[in-house]
Amino acid sequence: LQAYAKFSGAPLTVNTINNSWRPPKGDVPVLISEDIVISQPAKILNFLRKQKYNADYELSAKQGADTLAYIALLEEKLLPALLHTFWVEAENYCSVTKPWFASRIPFPLSLYLPGKMSREALNRILLTRGGPPLFSLTEVEAQIYRDAKECLNLLSKRLGTSQFFFGNTPTTLDAFVFGFLAPVYKVCFPRVQLQEHLKQLPNLCRFCDDILTCYFRLTVSGHSPSGQDTADANLQKLTQLVNKESNLIEKMDDNLRKSPQHPPRKLTTLKLAAGGEESSPLNRLSP
Amino acid sequence: AAEPWPENAALYQQLKEEQILLSDNASSLAVQAFLQMCNLPVRVVCRANAEYMSPSGKVPFIHVGNQVVSELGPIVQFVKAKGHSLSDGLDEVQKAEMKAYMELVNNMLLTAELYLQWCDDVTVEEITHPRYGSPYPWPLNRILSYQKQWEIRRKMKAIGWAGKSLEQVLEDVDQCCQALSQRLGTQPYFFNKQPTELDALVFGHLFTILTTQLTTDELSEKVKNYGNLTAFCRRIEQQYFEGHKDNSATAAAGSAKRSLLR
Repeated sequence: LQAYAKFSGAPLTVNTINNSWRPPKGDVPVLISEDIVISQPAKILNFLRKQKYNADYELSAKQGADTLAYIALLEEKLLPALLHTFWVEAENYCSVTKPWFASRIPFPLSLYLPGKMSREALNRILLTRGGPPLFSLTEVEAQIYRDAKECLNLLSKRLGTSQFFFGNTPTTLDAFVFGFLAPVYKVCFPRVQLQEHLKQLPNLCRFCDDILTCYFRLTVSGHSPSGQDTADANLQKLTQLVNKESNLIEKMDDNLRKSPQHPPRKLTTLKLAAGGEESSPLNRLSP
Repeated sequence: AAEPWPENAALYQQLKEEQILLSDNASSLAVQAFLQMCNLPVRVVCRANAEYMSPSGKVPFIHVGNQVVSELGPIVQFVKAKGHSLSDGLDEVQKAEMKAYMELVNNMLLTAELYLQWCDDVTVEEITHPRYGSPYPWPLNRILSYQKQWEIRRKMKAIGWAGKSLEQVLEDVDQCCQALSQRLGTQPYFFNKQPTELDALVFGHLFTILTTQLTTDELSEKVKNYGNLTAFCRRIEQQYFEGHKDNSATAAAGSAKRSLLR
């Protein structure tokens, strides 16, 4: 989501959310614009599009269709493995994911919420991928990692040597792929088979690095000058993006077709237009 | 060395006239289309317990020699191992695209079909429950239907579709069809001159949606909005299913059928 916002030039400032009770249903991320609270990634994107920040203006119809197809591929093949790496794999969960989340959420939610997300992730994996002939969790795990590696290979082939998926400007698909890949690439997990596989695909690594340096102003190693904390916060937001991406696919194409098509606007013209309603301090994206 | 394709290969699905449901019919037709495109003969066998015979619990499955393989993905790979493939002529980027579009169809169309069959109360009452358990005596038929419904609803909840309304699901189908229509353009097949497994899959689902009578026509109307998609289905029907009465797509299941060639 943040990547999309940056691509389309929307003025957003990011606030670390430290209280998960604030969003109406405990959903993150949340966009607050002048008292309108929007809580699902898909609706946030809808809102951004309607406010005329559209990164897909330049795409042809066929490319729009391709975007939808690739997003389906990502969701089906890559997402289960991502969920598993973050939430189900015992070592990863205990040593990285849980402390991260717990450190940002106040007690007593910190006891409950990570566990709930972990259970939901496992549930989702088992229900969608765990049918016969795969009967044990280890077999399911093996299969989803195989699928994820194949998916990464496919993405790498599709990207080839170009800078973004559709030429020289980033689009929704780039935002999606980045949202999925960046956490895998940057987060230091004890068990890293997916990360290792990703590192063998240099064009995907370059893709992530490019977006991080251009749009997120982090140095390539992932540590910003202001210290580990900011990097952690950013990476945590990316993690949450991963967990919520499932809603995005259902709404994306709707916006591609229906919202008014305008070229992406720069920050400065925005402040002049729209009666000054969207000045930056009022738009806060809480991760 | 791979064994040649035997003459008595069989494809198993549920009973055509009384039992099979929209989503299973679509999957079965996709496999039949694929095998026809590869020129591999197969006869269709209808059994009430096809779902239970299948190694993965899903229909259709094929019985070739002494091996049993179910679902389109594994069947495509199995056929490839025997030396027949429709997608060899594609380069790497096209293969990636093909896989992506197949996922799109599975993700959107198949899930929408399942939603309509099992989560839309009207359809469930009038069509699904009576059909699904029809070969079995009461109370087994009701128990099996409810069990399956519960299972599907759990899955829908896990992927976030349970909260959707019917309109939203229909919109998703529309978007999917729009994407497919745009990708197909004016070409005869998705990858120009030769059909691939993607064409088989799309045909299976779209043809079934177009020719199955449900409580409302909204689903088929969505597909009909796209002329090139209906032309695509007609073309494949004519090319691969005419003259094969047993495997004919027009004899496939559902309540009263409407032929596309009208």
